[in-house]
Amino acid sequence: MLINRTGIDCYINGAGMISPQKTYDNDAFLSELTQYANNVLTCVLPNFKDYINPFQMRRLSRMLRMGLAAAAICLRDARLKTPDAIITSTGYGFQEDMGKFLTEILQQDEQQLTPTYFMQSTHNALSGLIALSVKCMGYNTTYAGRGFAFETALHDAMMLLQEKEAENVLIGSFDEAYPVQHSEYIRMGYLKRERVNNLQLFESKTEGALQGEGVAFFMLSDSALPHTWCRLRNLHMVYKPADYGSLSAELIDFLAENDLAPGDVDVLVNGTSGDIVRDQWSLAIGRDCFGHAADVRFKHLTGEYATASSFALWLGAMILKNQTIPEAVLANAAPPRRPFRTVLACNHFLGRYYSFFLLTRE
Amino acid sequence: MSRRVFITGYGVMTAIGANGPENFASLRDKQCGFGKLEFLDTVHRDSIFCSEIKLSDDDLCKLASVPPNAGYTRTTLMGLITAKEAIDSAGLSEAQVRNAGIISATTAGGIREMEKYFHELQNPQFTGDLLAFLDTADPGEHTERLAEVLHIKKYLATVSTACSSATNALILGARLIANGVADCIICGGAEALSKFTINGFNSLMILDKEHCRPFDHNRNGLNLGEGAAYLVLESEEMLRRSGKKAIAELRGYANVNDAFHQTASSPAGTGALHAMKKTLARAGLDVIDIDYINTHGTGTENNDLSEGLAIQTLFGSHVPPFSSTKPYTGHTTSAAGSVEAAFCLMAFQQDVIFPNINFSQPMAELSIRPITEFIQGAGLKNILSNSLGFGGSATSLLFSKC
Repeated sequence: MLINRTGIDCYINGAGMISPQKTYDNDAFLSELTQYANNVLTCVLPNFKDYINPFQMRRLSRMLRMGLAAAAICLRDARLKTPDAIITSTGYGFQEDMGKFLTEILQQDEQQLTPTYFMQSTHNALSGLIALSVKCMGYNTTYAGRGFAFETALHDAMMLLQEKEAENVLIGSFDEAYPVQHSEYIRMGYLKRERVNNLQLFESKTEGALQGEGVAFFMLSDSALPHTWCRLRNLHMVYKPADYGSLSAELIDFLAENDLAPGDVDVLVNGTSGDIVRDQWSLAIGRDCFGHAADVRFKHLTGEYATASSFALWLGAMILKNQTIPEAVLANAAPPRRPFRTVLACNHFLGRYYSFFLLTRE
Repeated sequence: MSRRVFITGYGVMTAIGANGPENFASLRDKQCGFGKLEFLDTVHRDSIFCSEIKLSDDDLCKLASVPPNAGYTRTTLMGLITAKEAIDSAGLSEAQVRNAGIISATTAGGIREMEKYFHELQNPQFTGDLLAFLDTADPGEHTERLAEVLHIKKYLATVSTACSSATNALILGARLIANGVADCIICGGAEALSKFTINGFNSLMILDKEHCRPFDHNRNGLNLGEGAAYLVLESEEMLRRSGKKAIAELRGYANVNDAFHQTASSPAGTGALHAMKKTLARAGLDVIDIDYINTHGTGTENNDLSEGLAIQTLFGSHVPPFSSTKPYTGHTTSAAGSVEAAFCLMAFQQDVIFPNINFSQPMAELSIRPITEFIQGAGLKNILSNSLGFGGSATSLLFSKC
């Protein structure tokens, strides 16, 4: 299921990315890096006043501000005021507001609670808020399925284009680094216990990732324009592959369905998280199938979060648009072959959710 | 090319019954689930009544055939029981289930367990069974559990759009089939009551302390309920191969946004109107073809005015019988869309219309009034079902009897 054989026309015509690196400016490409020494990577924020009117901003949580700003950056970049549809995605939602409301419930014995925290903790609060801000009365939905949330959103958007329900779909993802989740994840072995400087993440030889977060928006459109970043050819999801053989076979099949062989891939954006237990198959894919390709990594810059695959999509699209790979993300010693025409992003979340995105630029 | 989408089975659990037949009997006999909370521990127990499923988590574990104390949240348990009922009623084989996809909707997910064990789960020294509830508060967790128990790996997705969540799960499932991506999808939603949800709606001051009165002039808010329901959607090709008869065709659907307010619908009902119009257009049907509308009808001042005006505007002099089933089950929030879809399927099977109870005085703003008596031999062919929610979400589904 989920290999779409029809070859939909789907282009990335704009993006807005807020991450633990300075990525909100589409004209810069990871030229200055931020180091984190405490295992939690939090977003480098733009000046919200540039994107949100101050009257509206006062009432918004940090995540809603980030979401609204990233959507605005994306809309500007796509040279569009109102999309036809809005789809957002999140692994864990607005955890901070949810936590604030829950804490009030427990501490104040269910009395005198702040409704704003409740309203802003609903998973579709951001997609509704954007619809309200840009007066988009079209299709509007939100997916919240952990490591496939963003993939479901992408796939839905591609179907909307195919159905001619929409010409421009604004899709986004958001997840935040939240202390309660952090402690639970450490306990479950998903995050590292020992301190690791993020820029040395891939030298660590231990279980667990670093906690990250990010907000991303993309404009997916049915037609290419002069400012188009690249084409999104296809995507595929694999849940809990039985073994490495079945995972790599699904990947080869996926490429073949799109008339490609591993040798055609110029750049592999690999979502290894620095977790030596859960990265094994992702590392093996890179080693076994894509030794010839540029080996690009990013979770030392973003940390791990449920919708981190959106950063992989942004990174792959940036590489195609700019025809350059920043040193900070390139893992091979040898200079990569040029030009960059085909990018494959392979992400995994917790070693359970694997996804492949295929991007091209002619 | 767009393929047709059929519904071959369903399962449902609410305060008025643990399965389809029990729910039907309660709807027929005007039995409601509204009352004092027994299983959820809250300070509002004596002041805020809800429609609670009167089964303990251990009872639910038994019904779901899973061991107790293994980290299954109440939402997951309700989901498992109803998804299994749906699979049985559709007569899917184990192989068919393995090849199917699952789309599940929730908002609160396992928040009930998180709020209950908050301090234990935050204490790094704490040990014991409760640790099975680590990382179970988010919406995606229950879908993982459902997929695990049902042995589904090919496709899983989680929808969370507040009160329209389960409807959006059904719409995504229908589109996967329509677009040829899948042949069989099990979709719906589940939501257990929690202090989080009760206090959330209470803080918005939209809870009626009395039994809710949808579409009544004196309505004063909604009652919360808990529930779960799943539908089995199949492609025409798959039906042809099995020779099975479907209950209904999911012939129309729409998801639009009101773009009016974060938590309220536009008073004129723009979103609901647009959603119903688009749904009819997709189905290729006219207003006169609709035999019954199962409304969102929460009983809040805002919803019933907005939805009522939208119905009145769209249907003009051809308003079909309509009712809200929320007084029976309470507002089951994220599960409401699939719970009410299951009720529409029962309506087809028994050819009946369920009454809108607690209605006495028509709203001043409306010239239409809901059906207040149980109608048999209703001659139902096409039913419309609405779900509206936070974030301006407006959705509608159209079922045609097979």
